[in-house]
Amino acid sequence: MTNRFKNIKHIARKVGMVKNLAFIAVMALLGVVLLLDIFVVEKIFGLLVYLYIVLGTLFILYGIPSLYASRRLIKYYWQRASRNRLAVGGLAFILFLILLAIIGPLFTTDPTAANFEEKNLPPVGFTLEESVYDIKTGQFTTHRITGTGEHPVGTDDKGRDLLAMIISGAGVSLQVGLFATGIAIALGTLIGVTAAYLGGKMDNILMRFTDIMMTFPFFLLLVFIVFIFGPNLVFIVIVIGLTGWTGTARLIRSESLSLRTREFVMASKALGASDNRIILSHLIPNVISLIIVIATLSIPGVILAEAALSFIGLGDPNVASWGMILRAGQQNLDTTWWVAVAPGVMLFLTVLAFNFLGDGLRDAFDPRSNI
Amino acid sequence: MTDVILRIRNLRTYFFTRRGIVKAVDGVDFDLGKSECLCLVGESGCGKTVTALSILSLIDSPPGRIVGGEIYYNNLNLLECPPDQIRRIRGKEIAMIFQDAQSALNPVFTIGDQVVEQVKLHLGTTTREAKEKAISLLEEVGIPTPEKVANYYPHQLSGGMRQRAMIAMSLSCDPQILIADEPTTAVDVTVKAQIMDIFNQLKNTRQMSLLFITHELSIVSEIGDRILVMYGGRVAETTTVSELLNNPKHPYTASLIKCLPDITQVRDRLETIPGTVPSLIDPPGGCLFHPRCDKALPICREEKPPPVTITNGHTVFCHLYSRKGEMG
Repeated sequence: MTNRFKNIKHIARKVGMVKNLAFIAVMALLGVVLLLDIFVVEKIFGLLVYLYIVLGTLFILYGIPSLYASRRLIKYYWQRASRNRLAVGGLAFILFLILLAIIGPLFTTDPTAANFEEKNLPPVGFTLEESVYDIKTGQFTTHRITGTGEHPVGTDDKGRDLLAMIISGAGVSLQVGLFATGIAIALGTLIGVTAAYLGGKMDNILMRFTDIMMTFPFFLLLVFIVFIFGPNLVFIVIVIGLTGWTGTARLIRSESLSLRTREFVMASKALGASDNRIILSHLIPNVISLIIVIATLSIPGVILAEAALSFIGLGDPNVASWGMILRAGQQNLDTTWWVAVAPGVMLFLTVLAFNFLGDGLRDAFDPRSNI
Repeated sequence: MTDVILRIRNLRTYFFTRRGIVKAVDGVDFDLGKSECLCLVGESGCGKTVTALSILSLIDSPPGRIVGGEIYYNNLNLLECPPDQIRRIRGKEIAMIFQDAQSALNPVFTIGDQVVEQVKLHLGTTTREAKEKAISLLEEVGIPTPEKVANYYPHQLSGGMRQRAMIAMSLSCDPQILIADEPTTAVDVTVKAQIMDIFNQLKNTRQMSLLFITHELSIVSEIGDRILVMYGGRVAETTTVSELLNNPKHPYTASLIKCLPDITQVRDRLETIPGTVPSLIDPPGGCLFHPRCDKALPICREEKPPPVTITNGHTVFCHLYSRKGEMG
């Protein structure tokens, strides 16, 4: 073995350690900032920013290497999924939306800045006839308002730029979808796999609990909780997450039931694996494709639930989600129709994109489908 | 005899099904010596695998339950161990490999990852040391280019390679006892020969006891020191391999050996044993083999045959050799 090769091998060995050290360093730095945030300066970052930094560090340090390690498999699934044009279109739209939500706000004006000089501007290319009551003459005068390039999607009744609102709403909807689905999927997977693996009494208890949760009208619960605790987006996300796991649990359970009887579970048991280990490192990795599909297909439901809640007036008034814009717009649907149509179209496209992507992924992951 | 490492006494494992109680293992006794190879032989459904699973407390419960008996591993009764202790013994002290390596390996992890996990789990080494150990284990079981194979998924390997990887996994913690449950059944004859070579080699290089479950007498003659013939969940005969092949006492064993094709004789049809394995839900009374036995005595229908010692280490459960049988 040459000296150079030895060095490479040495470095490769160190990488594992370096990764852990880097993670600890980032977390320590973050901890210091958080302490400063709490005790010295007020509000350096919002709470969500911390969460994103932790998740991002985890993804860069541990997610990317393992994705790289399984690049062959990812390539294979990509080849299968990319045969479905609609799924690719959906994925493209979702990526565009994510990009829009992240870097869009840097280029738009403040979505909350009201400007009554420019209220009710139609989108560019449209004109609107408006009657204005003139106090001096005591008469109505009609004048035409034309959309300007400055506000391509127009403005609402307070003169706020609709494009900026839609872009900031995209961030809200995606975050709601991501976190609520994350909570629901994590809970559902854990409960489903545990019920299937332990079987017997435990299975019965967990599944009857799931049935009860399923029959419970969760939207009513949501309305109830918002009514009691006030409309807070974090609350809403957590409640959607805590109530939305039932279908996932059932699907994951039925898939795990057949896995449980496979010989490799018995084999790893025979070689001394504990129950926790079998659940976490043998059963869950084997249902990961199902988890990805369920997650993709349940994100639109969550986004719609939040929008519906906002629409009936129980959304967080401090956050301009698509549902809130839609609600504001529907009151003047006969005149300033674009205020309601713009978020409606975005909701429609987003839900459609996630559904198409989910269907494509389901076909790609299903070994029985010939696509 | 050498030191006994595993002593099983009156092991009874029953399955409580809707149709009745299946006495899958009904009073099995045997000793496994240090670095000895004991072969468990018998037809399908005679309780070989259930015996092996009972040793590691791996019987699915419900419906199965070990209703009685003792399993001593170095003076430790495994049936009285708390689950945690049993779990630490599994894999580290007593390892088991299964018939079908295809399904006994987790399809979503590479071979290397699975061996490394095993090493880390029981020996608590760092990932780097575990990787080196995994590579050397794969080399020991005769996998060429182990560094490359370690990165393969189970479905990318041939049946023989998978079985070797499975053996490597079970050897990862240098177990005292290796239970091999029909490791050659799911592979073709060429691979079978290779696998048997590995077992022979392991027997010579490692101080390990081997409990080898099979239904092929040809394999027994190749690897076994002693043999235990089971029938319907009970022991029929136990002795050394050469003694059994040359001087079978139990009518069942004798007919089994008669069924082996002989290259020196011209025959139109191979010998068979008439009848089928008895139902274990509703077994015949007395000796379980009497409906198929051509030497059956009236007493065989009535009474369970007692153990009869023919010579030192050769025991047969048959009325033909007991005093009661002689009187009747």
